[in-house]
Amino acid sequence: MSSVISPRSRRSEAGPDRRSVLAGAAAGLLVATLPARAATDISPERAQLIARITEGALPERGRITLDIPALVENGNSVDTRILVESAMTEADHVRWIHLIAEKNPFPDMARFHLGPRAGRAEVATTLRLSQSQTVTAVAALSGGGFVMADADIVVTLSACIDGG
Amino acid sequence: MSFNARITLPAQARVGEIVEIKVLTRHPMDRGGQSDGKGGTVPRMILNRLTATYAGEPIFRLDMHTGVSANPFVSFTTRAVATGDIVFEWREDGGATYTRTARLTVT
Repeated sequence: MSSVISPRSRRSEAGPDRRSVLAGAAAGLLVATLPARAATDISPERAQLIARITEGALPERGRITLDIPALVENGNSVDTRILVESAMTEADHVRWIHLIAEKNPFPDMARFHLGPRAGRAEVATTLRLSQSQTVTAVAALSGGGFVMADADIVVTLSACIDGG
Repeated sequence: MSFNARITLPAQARVGEIVEIKVLTRHPMDRGGQSDGKGGTVPRMILNRLTATYAGEPIFRLDMHTGVSANPFVSFTTRAVATGDIVFEWREDGGATYTRTARLTVT
């Protein structure tokens, strides 16, 4: 019985084939990358940008949601929404929310000042991103603490190009 | 100067209800440094602050830098307390200010 493919191009029976080797390598790479990402979570430059606005304190993670697209077609206008879980009472509220883009020419993008009258710590705006980078949102709480959230953003069309 | 603003908020709200206020502003927000096409560069000219007062009381302030897009959209919330005017004031580089007013009816 003749085969439709020549014996020479047929998959060899012995040993793993190319496809399974590649899949295994990719899985290994993923596993190897995940702890590395956690270890180098905040780059020194970004830590410095955060410390500058929190007077040295390291913000906790959690209680804050940064809603921003992971893939941005146009860096000139990026829809961003920040929500902080807070009762927004006189005793416990969010004082401000600050947005940092580490690789923008001016990393500070905006600061929202809120108070107990806001009712809910939820704000939205449109941002400019010069390139693919990590966007950080830091919120200052009335108790003196800080919380943060960040997101890795891929920008297809940079802002900061001439004519942009 | 082509400034304009569209403010969206509920026509009326009940006391204690949290209302979302959306502000879409028309402004070039020139970050400075782009070519002006004549060999020079465009100077920085952005709206650097938006404040909102509700019946005379400040409720919201946004400090903007060059990282805010042209024609910026801003949304925030406030708790409805009484019928009154919400006054929005923008401060532009160079000191110019723009003011718009929206009325919130509280039932």
